[in-house]
Amino acid sequence: MLKTLNQKISIVLILLAAGYLYMSYNLKEYSYVPVDSDFLPKVLGYLLIVLAVFLFFDKSSETEEEKEKRQVPRSEILVLLAVGGMIFLYIFLLEIIGFVLSSVLFVFCCSLFLGYRKHKINAMVAVIFPLVMYLSFNYLLQISLPQGILPF
Amino acid sequence: MGAGLMEGFQVAFSWQGILFVLIGVVAGTLIGMMPGLGPISAIAIMIPITYGMDPSSALVMMAGVYYGAVFGGSTSSILLNAPGISGTVATSFDGYPMAQRGEAGKALAIAAISSFVGGTVSVVLLMLFAPALAQVAVSFGPAQYFALMFLGLTAISSLSDGSTNKALITATMGFMVATIGIDGQTGTTRFTFGNANLLEGIDFLVIALGLFALAEICHLVIKRKDTSLQNQGDIGSLKLTKQDFKEMRGPMTRQSFLGFILGVLPGAGATIASFIGYISEKRIAKRPEEFGKGSIKGLSAPETANNAATSGAFVPLLSLGIPGSGTTAVMLGAFLVLGIQPGPLLMADRPEVFWGIIASMYIGNIFLLILNLPLIPYIAKILKIARPMLISLVAIFSLIGVYAISFSTFDLYLLLIFGVLGYLMRLFSFPAAPFILAFILGGMMEQSFRQTMTASGGDMMALISDPVSISLYIVSLLSFAVPLIRNRKSARQV
Repeated sequence: MLKTLNQKISIVLILLAAGYLYMSYNLKEYSYVPVDSDFLPKVLGYLLIVLAVFLFFDKSSETEEEKEKRQVPRSEILVLLAVGGMIFLYIFLLEIIGFVLSSVLFVFCCSLFLGYRKHKINAMVAVIFPLVMYLSFNYLLQISLPQGILPF
Repeated sequence: MGAGLMEGFQVAFSWQGILFVLIGVVAGTLIGMMPGLGPISAIAIMIPITYGMDPSSALVMMAGVYYGAVFGGSTSSILLNAPGISGTVATSFDGYPMAQRGEAGKALAIAAISSFVGGTVSVVLLMLFAPALAQVAVSFGPAQYFALMFLGLTAISSLSDGSTNKALITATMGFMVATIGIDGQTGTTRFTFGNANLLEGIDFLVIALGLFALAEICHLVIKRKDTSLQNQGDIGSLKLTKQDFKEMRGPMTRQSFLGFILGVLPGAGATIASFIGYISEKRIAKRPEEFGKGSIKGLSAPETANNAATSGAFVPLLSLGIPGSGTTAVMLGAFLVLGIQPGPLLMADRPEVFWGIIASMYIGNIFLLILNLPLIPYIAKILKIARPMLISLVAIFSLIGVYAISFSTFDLYLLLIFGVLGYLMRLFSFPAAPFILAFILGGMMEQSFRQTMTASGGDMMALISDPVSISLYIVSLLSFAVPLIRNRKSARQV
C-alpha cells in the first residue's frame, strides 16, 4: 500500500499530528477567554494532517539528486551513530567531570576516530581550545562553565 | 538639530569617543562570533565595565557593542553554518554555500560591505526621522503586528527549492514547537510533559544550531573523505568585481530602507528584517533559482537589512524610551544604570548623549569595515582546519553556545535531537529554513492574534479593520500568489 517514500513519511506525520491533537484536546479550557490556549494547536494539528494527506497523494517523483542524497553507506551510518554517541557521552559527563576535561576527551577522541592522524597537533588543539574557551567564558565574560573535578 | 548634531560629533570625535567606539565594536564582534552570545549577552557583559564611566562615552561604547555583535554573528553563519543569533539565519542560506564552494573571503567581504552600507544609510535615516518614525511605530497595534508576521510567513514558499507542500509541513512543525511552554495569556502549560525544563519553551538557539550546525556536522561526517569537497579550505579572493558590486547595489539600496523601517517597529527587529529582506529580493530577482546556492544578492540582502534594523531599533528607544526588542531592553537597562532616561526629553536635555550615540554610529560602521576587511583571510582560515578536527570543534562550539544561555544539559540533549531532525530533514528534502522562520514568528503571531481577539471580544474582522493591516495582507497575498502563477506559466512554456 505504501509505495512511495512520501506516503511513508505522510503516515508518520499523520500519527504525529494525531498525537499532538490528542494532547491539544486535553489542554485546560477557560470560559471567558476569546481565544483559548488550545485554539492554535488544534488548527496546527489539523493543518499538518491536511498537508500530510497532500503529501500522500503527491505524485511528483524524486530527482536523482534527492535520491543520491539518501544513499548513505551502512558503515557511514555506524560512524555517524558513534559520533552521536560521543556527543551524548560528552553531555552526560559535562557537569560531572567539567567542561575542560570532557572537551579535551571529546575533541581528541572524536578527531582521532574520524581519521585525524597528527596526534601531537590533535593533543595540542584538544587541550588549548577548551582551556581558552573556559578561561574566556569564566573569567572574561563572567559566564560559568562547569568546573567539574578541576580545582579552577 | 544642527547644533545638537555638532555636539554629538564632538563627543564621537573626541579621543575618548573614538577609543570607546573602537573597544565597543571589537568586543561586540568577538562576542557576536560565538554562538549563544548575541547582542543581548554582549551588552549585558559590558554593562559592569561602564560603571563609573562618563555616560556619553559608555553609551557610545554600548552602541558599538550592539552593532558589532550583529556584525560578528554573520561570520559563524557564513563559515560554519552555525547562526548564533536569529538575525543571521538568513545570512547562512547563501553565505555558507559560497564558503563551501571556496569563496569564503568574498562572502565575508560582501557581508562586511553590505553591513556597512545598511548601517550607514540607516544612521542617516535615524538622524533625519527618529522622532516622526517613533510616532508611527507606537501606532502599530496587535492587529498590525499580526499582519506583519503574516507577511513574514509568506516567505515560506520562497525558502524552499523543491516542494511547497514540504516547506509548509516543516513550517507547521516549527509553529508546533513554538507552542511548547507556558501559554502567556492563560498560564496553561502546553506540551511540556510535566518537565520543568520545557516551561519556558525551547530556545531559538537550540533549534537553529540543531537544524543547521549539527545537521551540517552529520553531513560532514558522512562526506569527510569526499575529495570533491577538498577545495572547501580555499577562501578565494577577497576582491569584488564590478559585476559583484552591480549585483549588490540593488539589495543594499532597497534593504537599507526596508531594514530600517522594520527595525523601527517594536518586536520586529533584525530577524524579521533579514528574512523579509531575503524573500523580497528573491521575489524580484531575475534568477531566483540562484538563491540558496550562493547568490550574492541572497547574501547581501539579509546582511544589509539586519544591520539597518539595528540602527532602526534605536528610534523608539531614543525618542520614546520604549525598547522594541530584548536587545534594546538591555540597552535601556544600560541607560538607566548610567542615570540617563531615554525618551522625548532626551534630545532636549542631553543632546550630547542623543546625538553622540548617533554620530558614533557613523564612526562605528567605518571601524567595522576597516577592522574586518583585513582580518577576513585570518578569520576564514577556520575552513582550512582538517575536517575531522573541524567536526569536533564545531560540535563543542555549538554545545557550549547552548549551555552558555541555559546552563542546562537538558537543552544540550534537545540540541542533539534537533540535530538528528535537521539531518533527517536534509535526507528527505524537507527544507529547514521554513521551520525556523515559523518557530520565530509563531510565538509572536499567536500573541498578536490573541491580543487582537481579546481587545475586540473575539471579532475576527478586527484583523482587517484598518488600512495598514489590509495593505500588509494584500502584499502578503501578492508575494505568495505571483511566484506561483509565474512558475505555472514557465512550466507551461516548457
